[in-house]
Amino acid sequence: MTIILFDGLIYASVLAVLCVGLSLTYKITSVPNFAHTSFAILGMYMALIMAKVLDVSVYLALPVAFAASGALALFMYYGIIRILQKKKSSLISLIIATLAFDMFMIGVLNIIADGIRNTYQVNSRDFTLRSLDIVIGGDGGLPLVFIVTLVLLAGLALGLYCLLYRTSFGMSLRGAIENESLAQTLGINTRTIFCFAWFLSGGLAGMAGVLMSMWFQGDPSLAAIMLPSIFAGSIVGGFSSVYGAILGGVLVGLSEVVGTSILIDLLGYWVIPYRPVIPFIAMIATLLVLPGGLIQLITKYQKRKNMTMKKAEEEKEDSKEEEDGVGA
Amino acid sequence: MALDPGIIFIGDLVAIFSVYLIINLSLNLEFGFGGVPNFGKVLAVAGGAFVMGTIPFMMFGVLVDYGALEPVDDNIMLVHQINAYIEAHPESVLGVFAVTLIVAVAVGGVLGLASAYPAIRLRGDYLAITLLGFGEIIRIIGINHTPLVGGTLGISLPDMLAFVPNEYRFLTASFVLLAFAGGAYLLVSRFTKSPVGRLLRSTRDDDLALQTLGRDPVKIKFKVMMLAGMLGAVGGVMYASYVEGVVAFGYDRLNWTFLPFVMIIVGGMANNKGVLVGTLLFVAIRKLVIYYNDSLDGLLPFDIIWLDYLALGGIMILVLIFRPHGILPERPQKTESLEKG
Repeated sequence: MTIILFDGLIYASVLAVLCVGLSLTYKITSVPNFAHTSFAILGMYMALIMAKVLDVSVYLALPVAFAASGALALFMYYGIIRILQKKKSSLISLIIATLAFDMFMIGVLNIIADGIRNTYQVNSRDFTLRSLDIVIGGDGGLPLVFIVTLVLLAGLALGLYCLLYRTSFGMSLRGAIENESLAQTLGINTRTIFCFAWFLSGGLAGMAGVLMSMWFQGDPSLAAIMLPSIFAGSIVGGFSSVYGAILGGVLVGLSEVVGTSILIDLLGYWVIPYRPVIPFIAMIATLLVLPGGLIQLITKYQKRKNMTMKKAEEEKEDSKEEEDGVGA
Repeated sequence: MALDPGIIFIGDLVAIFSVYLIINLSLNLEFGFGGVPNFGKVLAVAGGAFVMGTIPFMMFGVLVDYGALEPVDDNIMLVHQINAYIEAHPESVLGVFAVTLIVAVAVGGVLGLASAYPAIRLRGDYLAITLLGFGEIIRIIGINHTPLVGGTLGISLPDMLAFVPNEYRFLTASFVLLAFAGGAYLLVSRFTKSPVGRLLRSTRDDDLALQTLGRDPVKIKFKVMMLAGMLGAVGGVMYASYVEGVVAFGYDRLNWTFLPFVMIIVGGMANNKGVLVGTLLFVAIRKLVIYYNDSLDGLLPFDIIWLDYLALGGIMILVLIFRPHGILPERPQKTESLEKG
């Protein structure tokens, strides 16, 4: 039972971190980035290199992966997406370009994996670094990666809130997302801001990849396997909201792990390979029933609440005016 | 008589070219003309291949006494028996293959409709994501549901041309495939030149204008997805019958979704001649790469297959940046009055 708890929460948090990055870049560039998981796989291999080749603590891989995957995302934005956008390519062309970059990265990551295996005689496929992790309280205790993952997600939620709503940089970022040309007329350097957001998105994915390889397995094929899950999480959340993405990612991640374990009890072990179908169903159901995602539901509720409050105020004012009128 | 390696090379090139031409024409129909980005092209192709992996075994089951043999578990023995039957009764192939094609077309159409349904009304990016997901799901089912096409090991199929004498067998297959591809080419180019072709282009270019003229773009998109699904399934049947086997692992995103996209974009979208050129170009390049594969092996510290990913991804990005309209760009359709003026 505790294993399912650890599995579920770690997977859900990692997924949520990936969904946040995906939604952030989608909101900025309005291109769904099909190469987003390859940033995470790069992080996984950074972890493998740090732990097995350089023989240092695997936690040192977190900043390294952040920098490496962030740089990769920056390269993708600056070298491909921005050029295509300047040429006024269609949305579909941009999507195809991200798919092409994903294919390219599958090649690169597999070459890295083969290179590590052939040069250092280290197992580089389906590897796990779980045994290198520190377990608090001895055997059966609390693994450190569990705490780090939860702290990362919580820190991300809090940090993004502070960044977006409490700093002037965050205000320009939100402004640039809402209306790029208007923000430019106000003297905001939107290019720097967008580059920062892409770097952040890639870096977060890299860290997610490191944490992933410390509890689950790391393999280049995970890029394709996890892609439907992170898109499902983002779409369930609403695909344009950072907090929706956290909500959607956690929900989809938990339902994937817990749902599969429930289905195993009900139907038997043959359901395990069909696990990717769960996020897919969640995605289809969201698109059919609530295309705006969970965040739409929440904003709708808030709007209604505001409306009723406004209405009540207006009625109050109206009745006041009437009273005034009568008085005059 | 052993075949000359050169002839084997050309014959294989023609066969693979024909398979990809059928699939690319279907993708061009929905994506190039209709503007529906089907990132799950592999769905229809795999659907057709899986039909080819099941229906012939059922049909021959009526004609041949299988005894206790099962299509998946006793695959090789059964295929051997069926091949012997085909050699003795060549006419049986016509019926079996025709029925298989009809079932595959039906399945392809249904898959096209079903995969389009959840997101066809939404923006293009949601549709792209959903279709991509469908393409992954069929692979998972194919790999894990063993009774369908043998799961991870795959199955062998009876040789539909077992009655042809051995020395002609190989080239006959190439010719049959080329004939099917030629038929598909004529059909699609007539279709896209007809008023329906103009309707498709206008759905892609300006669906608001289309609505003001009383047409429903969603309905048109559904129809083109169905048609393209049917044609894609035919491509799947052709490939499975050519390689005489179905291995679910082979129906991946690189080979049956991404590669067709590269081919039609490099060749020229919404231009059937462009598709012809793009398909020929890439099939030839990949054949040559595989041909010289062995000489490169061992020189590199990694598996050659990954260079394939690097090259295709890289080429696609470069073409999108430097020549987004391909080798043969889409030409404006001249109406009669324009030609006279």
